[in-house]
Amino acid sequence: MTPTISATALGRRYRDQVALDDVSLTVEPGTVTGLLGRNGAGKTTLMRIITGQEFPSSGDLRVFGETPAENDEVLARMVFVREEQSYPDFQVRHAIRVASWFYPNWDEDLAQQLLKDFELPPRRRIKRLSRGMRSAVGIVIGLAARADLTLFDEPYAGLDAVARQLFYDRLLAEFAEHPRTILLSTHLIDEVADLLEHVVMLDHGRVVLDAPADEVRGTGMIVNGPYTAVEEFVAGRTVWHRQRLGSRASVTIADPLDLAAQAQARALHLSLEPLSLQQLLVHAAGVSADEKVSA
Amino acid sequence: MNTLVNVGRYHLVDRITWLALPWGIMAFSFLINIGVALAVPTVPQGIYTGGLVSLYIFMLICGSLSMTRSLPFGLMMGISRRTYYAGTALLVLTLGVVYGLGLTLLQLIERATNGWGLNLHYFRIPWILNGPWYETWLTSFVLLVAFVLYGMWYGLVFRRWSVPGLVAFIAAQILVALLAVVAVSATGSWSGVGHFFTTVTALAVTGVLALVALAMGFGGLTTLRQVTI
Repeated sequence: MTPTISATALGRRYRDQVALDDVSLTVEPGTVTGLLGRNGAGKTTLMRIITGQEFPSSGDLRVFGETPAENDEVLARMVFVREEQSYPDFQVRHAIRVASWFYPNWDEDLAQQLLKDFELPPRRRIKRLSRGMRSAVGIVIGLAARADLTLFDEPYAGLDAVARQLFYDRLLAEFAEHPRTILLSTHLIDEVADLLEHVVMLDHGRVVLDAPADEVRGTGMIVNGPYTAVEEFVAGRTVWHRQRLGSRASVTIADPLDLAAQAQARALHLSLEPLSLQQLLVHAAGVSADEKVSA
Repeated sequence: MNTLVNVGRYHLVDRITWLALPWGIMAFSFLINIGVALAVPTVPQGIYTGGLVSLYIFMLICGSLSMTRSLPFGLMMGISRRTYYAGTALLVLTLGVVYGLGLTLLQLIERATNGWGLNLHYFRIPWILNGPWYETWLTSFVLLVAFVLYGMWYGLVFRRWSVPGLVAFIAAQILVALLAVVAVSATGSWSGVGHFFTTVTALAVTGVLALVALAMGFGGLTTLRQVTI
């Protein structure tokens, strides 16, 4: 099957900075992929190139097997909800109505339901909305569009925890009912960890991690225990982080542990604590850019 | 085709900007002119005014807004730059036909009532908009389209290169005009230019304006293809 997104050695340079450097990745149809990374890591630039709003300086990008830039057939199958999307000076209901004209699979009932759920006043001018409510307008459009490829770039700036949970619930329900390919960039990694099937992490414009979320979750481990026992256990393993407090030590290792290793840890009276996706990615961001984390 | 029409409908959601304001501002300017005509003593040669330009200027502003304020949401909805421009241009052509017809009708009324009973020349501009109804319709249409496309180009230059770009864009236009003046002076052809403008027909001017409008459209589209958001 043609991958939904396929990037090969994609690069984007601006005068004084490299936004994307040799990015190669594949997004399979019908998956939820998390695009993670720190501010300025290149997440938005990558999504803008995917949606044809920005042009790459080098490399090749295919969406549904074709180059997306200025390609009406490909662009019409995508919706891109950006952080701080700017709208013309019109009301919420106008934005919803206009969006419905451009998406063949638009679900008006869903749009109206989401407007109620997010308590968006349809007749309010968008520029009079609070930041969080403006984000909600984008989320309503992004979900109701039912586009084959849905891109959310930090879609919930300013949204409170209740509204964010609502977004996650709706996203999951929609995805289950009408499968599509979703690319979601976010800082709030632990909040979305359970939604993601695949994780791509960018750091300084490079891909530092590209793996199924389940594999990533099993990767990192914190080993706690008496200093000598911990050191004996981690010898020969990839160590990300060492911390010593008196006679005790806490060491973060990158390798997955097999059953024998787990039994050995128990025998040494060591406690093992898996890293959360967020902790894992903080470590991944810490490794040098050319040292890829293999999951 | 459907998408092109939808781009036009997208702009028309803001009816105030595209419909109410251009005509409202022109109506306001017209009423002021009527007031002035009532206040001043009647002059045998009639009262001439450039108030009509308010409509054209506001349409230029509409054009620039369509490429600044409305562009990001348009591109968010999966419209290519080319389609966005073409859809906007289609709207502009349609409005040009309708608005041109409106101006023509107003001119007919003005002529029939001898300048609203005040010998006021508001919708009759000597030389360019003063011929038979079909010429006025055609010239108004071409002028409106040229103004909006010009405004769209301004908006795009601003989106692409912001204020420095605008300054350079205006400077470049002044430079072109200056070069033309220098060229005419250097070849001593001012009398020829004068002759051209005194003998040219309104229809020929309309043809030249149509070419200018085409150039504006080409320039705007070329600029839009480099705009990123």
